[in-house]
Amino acid sequence: MDDRVKDDELRLEKQVTRRSFLRMMGGLGLAGITVSLAGCGASTVAGQAGGDGWLPQQYQGRGAWPAQVRGRVPITPDNPSIVRDDEKCILCGQCLEVCKNIQSVFGHYGLPLADEMVCVNCGQCALWCPTAAITERDDTQKVLQALQDPDKHVVVQTAPATRVALGEEFGLAPGTWVMGQQVAALKRLGFDAVFDTNFSADLTIMEEATELIKRIKGDINKPLPQFTSCSPGWVKFCEYFYPDLLPHMSSCKSPQQMLGALVKTYYAKMKNINPENIVSVSIMPCTAKKFEVQRPEMNSSAHYWNKQNMRDMDAVLTTRELARLIKQQGIDLNKLPEQNYDPLLGKSTGGAIIFGATGGVMEAAVRSAYYFITQQQPPANLLTLTPVRGLEGVKEAAVDVPGVGTVKVAVCHGMSNGRQVLEAVRKGNAPWHFVEFMCCPGGCISGGGQPRSAVPPSDEVRMQRINSLYQADARMQWRESHENSEVLALYQNFLEHPMSELAEELLHTSYTDRGKKAKQLTA
Amino acid sequence: MSKGVLVDLTKCVGCGSCMVACKMWNKLQYTRTASDKGGEASLDAENWTVVNKVETKKGNESVWRFVKNQCLHCEEPACASACFSKAIKKTKDGPVVYDANLCVGCRYCMLACPFNIPKYEWDKTFPQVRKCQMCSDRLHAGESPACVGVCPAGALTYGDRHNLLSQAREKINSDSSYIKHIYGEKEAGGTAWLYISDVPFEALGFRTNITTRPLPQYTESILSLTPAVGLGWGALLTGMYVYNRRRNEIARENKSGKDNG
Ligand code: SF4
Ligand code: SF4
Ligand code: SF4
Ligand code: SF4
Repeated sequence: MDDRVKDDELRLEKQVTRRSFLRMMGGLGLAGITVSLAGCGASTVAGQAGGDGWLPQQYQGRGAWPAQVRGRVPITPDNPSIVRDDEKCILCGQCLEVCKNIQSVFGHYGLPLADEMVCVNCGQCALWCPTAAITERDDTQKVLQALQDPDKHVVVQTAPATRVALGEEFGLAPGTWVMGQQVAALKRLGFDAVFDTNFSADLTIMEEATELIKRIKGDINKPLPQFTSCSPGWVKFCEYFYPDLLPHMSSCKSPQQMLGALVKTYYAKMKNINPENIVSVSIMPCTAKKFEVQRPEMNSSAHYWNKQNMRDMDAVLTTRELARLIKQQGIDLNKLPEQNYDPLLGKSTGGAIIFGATGGVMEAAVRSAYYFITQQQPPANLLTLTPVRGLEGVKEAAVDVPGVGTVKVAVCHGMSNGRQVLEAVRKGNAPWHFVEFMCCPGGCISGGGQPRSAVPPSDEVRMQRINSLYQADARMQWRESHENSEVLALYQNFLEHPMSELAEELLHTSYTDRGKKAKQLTA
Repeated sequence: MSKGVLVDLTKCVGCGSCMVACKMWNKLQYTRTASDKGGEASLDAENWTVVNKVETKKGNESVWRFVKNQCLHCEEPACASACFSKAIKKTKDGPVVYDANLCVGCRYCMLACPFNIPKYEWDKTFPQVRKCQMCSDRLHAGESPACVGVCPAGALTYGDRHNLLSQAREKINSDSSYIKHIYGEKEAGGTAWLYISDVPFEALGFRTNITTRPLPQYTESILSLTPAVGLGWGALLTGMYVYNRRRNEIARENKSGKDNG
């Protein structure tokens, strides 16, 4: 110690002389120049650089103890779903809260990382971020370009949940039904055909209910319970954290991907359009859909036509992006007359509408499964399956089906709720035949791409959107997916029957084990 | 007691929170995005810390690692000993800090630093040397550095340096996946920031050929060997620096004089 002090003094002496010399050269005393003249503003300790900014309250005055709410989620620059503007981030910790506690993604994988950042692309972090530092990856320019290209035939589909949320971007109350205005806006934007993802939601039920019955009857060698597969965030979650349970996953593609594959095969054929000139766009409440369209296996139309480089879907816009496009083009959604979806892939039933709410897929599937097994109309209580409605985290119901017995189902939304069900299945004590999983709390109506009508999202807004869907379902003439005349025509003219060879090729898929990327946490 | 930070590179998820915290606390500008942009991120006058993504191999598997980079706050800092005007000094808490009042702008510190840390505000009229201060004001108030406080992954631990060293030693000895080396324990005579890793440090871009002898001894000798060059250059820079300052001072005085009159 003493030696060092001496050393220091020695050095000091030397340097003081040098400094005095330099001072002389400059002809000025540097020490006399004030901080403000040096242009560095109000430094804390006289002249010392740094420390004149701020941090949120949770990081203040806590000594060396770490804060409870802190930091933010990791996002790679090439995340297909979300991007972040560092400059807007205030480290409030909200994105991390939802990712870790509601979606149980962050912090639920082992470190060190493999070679990717574990993210299910749900975009809930974007909904929670108070400064909108995290947003969806903007694909509006890509779509605008396609719309301006006269050689392209641009087709669009809208998800069940966008029609009860888009209006919020234009000042309407949460849950306002704007289905017809949305179609009108899309036509004005210049899309050549406006289709409804609800159509393929009905189609999904046809395929998924058929698959369920086959599992129950033992016609295919796949385990029960069957898991729904429409929510791409959920699918990726299962691939990361429960790859051992992937055989439970229904092989059905999501409605978006089913319609994508049909647009470039069935629709192209019927309309005699070169599938390579078709650009297929979707309007989704979901950011994970942007990831889903990029999955390498989602190119059934390329296989069908034996063409290279064709993707079933070309672009996904979130509800917020569509709102942006409409505003940019100076279209006032409120003043638009209602218009109808285009024929061929545009009709739907009440069963499809409720896909947007947690429990909806299940309810629709039960309606049709009942019909398939009994060849009878389901009883009234199956048209209002209250136990699976509402915002409870895990919901259960039992349905008596003549000839089969009691069919038990479960519904969960938000992946931390999902884990409870998954753990039960892993342990082998799951009594259910069919389980619906939705990645986002409340289902698609509160997907990561929906309007930020409350930050963080509130159950009140969720319920308003959900109620709107159920009311629309109750108003529908057809409530059950198997009643959809266009779906029946599709089978008659093209696919033959559910799970036919062609249906398997175009409407079904397989999954990837991502377990290695999200190493199991060992306790 | 001299403080330090232990960085466990196996825990870092590359979220960039530390980088943002540093910007916020120290009011640094965003010159370009530096968080998780892989090799593009580098320290500069406004980036006191960056997180570099490194794609490398561990055994046969390709892996990603994220490396937080900032001033290592040497126990015996070469920059401070090269600084003849005492603008850079080591505080007793551990941080190596920079005082703008004393800087003559010679940039010897930049030449002396074995880790290539101090940066210069090339675009300013009155440029300063800029680098991580280890949030010495926060340390002084009993808090951890801003970056440490916000890390959500537990990659950064703040504490007494010798405690951190024993923590680090225990970790690498009890877990076979770690490399048996604590970067910063001996490098450049020891640094306040310490790193442990499961991938060899050289693969992560660390300079591993740094002497374990305290560096001031070298800089002293370099400075004394080349007095003419050193002093000439330093004098010129200083002269220009002071001239600029003076000119601005006069300009301001004139202006405020006019305003008052
Ligand atoms: S998209 Fe979802 S999984 Fe990814 S970081 Fe955001 S909240 Fe987490
Ligand atoms: S929610 Fe937004 S502002 Fe808050 S830490 Fe996350 S990215 Fe930053
Ligand atoms: S210690 Fe302070 S100044 Fe240094 S990198 Fe961390 S936040 Fe920035
Ligand atoms: S805050 Fe922590 S986990 Fe995030 S980049 Fe910095 S060191 Fe890594």
